[in-house]
Amino acid sequence: MLALKDVGKTYPNGVHALERFSAEISPGEIIAIIGGSGCGKSTLLRAIAGLDRASTGSVSLDNAVITSPHAKIGIIFQEPRLLPWLSVADNIGFGLADLSAEVRRERVASALARVGLTDKAAAWPRELSGGQAQRVAIARALVPQPEVLLLDEPFSALDAFTRRDLQDHLLDLWADTRPTLILVTHDVDEAVVLADRVLVMRPRPGRLFEEITINLARPRDRKSELFDTFKRRVLTALDRSLDRSVRDVTDKSSAGEAMWW
Amino acid sequence: MAMTVDLPALEQTAAPRAAPARWSRLARPALGLLVPVVLALGWELVVYLGYSNGRLVPPPSKVFQTIVELARSGELSRHVLATLWRVGAGFALGVIAGTIMGAISGYWDFAKRLLDPTVQALRAIPSLAWVPLFVLWLGIFETSKVALIAVGVFFPIYLGVMGAILSVDRKIVEVGRVFRLSGPAMIRRILLPAVLPAYVVALRVGLGLGWMFVVAAELIGASEGLGYLLLDGQQLGKPAQILAAIVIFAILGKLTDWLIEVAVAPLLRWQDAFGARGGA
Repeated sequence: MLALKDVGKTYPNGVHALERFSAEISPGEIIAIIGGSGCGKSTLLRAIAGLDRASTGSVSLDNAVITSPHAKIGIIFQEPRLLPWLSVADNIGFGLADLSAEVRRERVASALARVGLTDKAAAWPRELSGGQAQRVAIARALVPQPEVLLLDEPFSALDAFTRRDLQDHLLDLWADTRPTLILVTHDVDEAVVLADRVLVMRPRPGRLFEEITINLARPRDRKSELFDTFKRRVLTALDRSLDRSVRDVTDKSSAGEAMWW
Repeated sequence: MAMTVDLPALEQTAAPRAAPARWSRLARPALGLLVPVVLALGWELVVYLGYSNGRLVPPPSKVFQTIVELARSGELSRHVLATLWRVGAGFALGVIAGTIMGAISGYWDFAKRLLDPTVQALRAIPSLAWVPLFVLWLGIFETSKVALIAVGVFFPIYLGVMGAILSVDRKIVEVGRVFRLSGPAMIRRILLPAVLPAYVVALRVGLGLGWMFVVAAELIGASEGLGYLLLDGQQLGKPAQILAAIVIFAILGKLTDWLIEVAVAPLLRWQDAFGARGGA
């Protein structure tokens, strides 16, 4: 169980990025966090990853408080961030340095096969397309078998076709070990395709605005009417989150908020 | 989208490159030799036909002859070895000091604020200004010469290493953090490979300066070395000997630079620029 309790973040330059964000996320759940720019999505994700410490509140995984990167928490960034001096195979095995060479080779080989890049094992990252590089990044994050995988707009730099392909692929990979997925996105379609729950955030300071449960069976048909209904619900929530005249749906104070507009 | 744009371009460049690969491998360096060879032959011809007596600017054949004579008498190897030793020792010292200081300043902000202003101030001094002091402190023999070369090599290495560490992509370092690398592992697995390309450039710049400073050092007062050959040629009015020394300097400089390039090429194969040049 991943528990976020009143997580807040104020940066040293005074920017109040995130305010009292609370959520409980069960193992194997897929959560999409969506919201306008500056709503603290990435800040929240970095706090969960242990890359930045929350100013207030706490993040805990199975009752262990997270203050620095944790073995059970993996992250995939917006850009693949592959190490350019390592081959594709070595990039995937980067987090397995503690294992014996033989075990590492096996794991890397099966991960390569799983993301369909066996023939690229010896290639340099510069020789990959954007979609291939991001698949390597996904494999690298999944190979240590994290319990929680964080994704920070992982497909936003890709074209629509590749993005859709990778979304399906991600679900496929997720089904192997069913880690908790927390995905930050600004793509409503992506949120509804992937998530069990969509958390809509509102900006300045970033906080939870509305929570929408997507109880649609997988695989989800992007063209179905029900899919559209959920998309509309998320879109409506997003619009309302940006409308300052609407009070927070959650029970947080919004006193003085109108001053922003 | 990108594929459709790339493909025709690839086909165009790949086709002619594949067929006469051997030709281009030989022709590319040959093209670079064209201008000096034509100039040299031209001058040879001018002197041969009697348009110039070639006393102050001796023709290539005379220079070559001088080199052969020097080689035959054993003088050449003595001078070359003396110079090589000085450059080698000075370069090694400069590289070691520059790398250590640059790494400390780049990695540790406090050290940078403490040391960098002083190093930058010292860098502003023309290195040749140290010569009288070094001669007073270290004598006119080898030590002062090696010290001068080391000073010349130190600064580009220091700046290169510090700059390279400071400009390592924060996002790549974050990957190391996500995988919980320890301090030494972070240096070994992330920082060193990230810094290597810039370090190689610094080494090559440093080596170039090493060759520059060995001439200065040997002009101070030496009884052997290529710089001594230069000075000797000037004082005894032997321009062919001066040109011979210059040619040997050029060959040695190019050769040592090439050695660095070849030695590190396998480590830099991953670089985009390296691949684009069609090395391997």
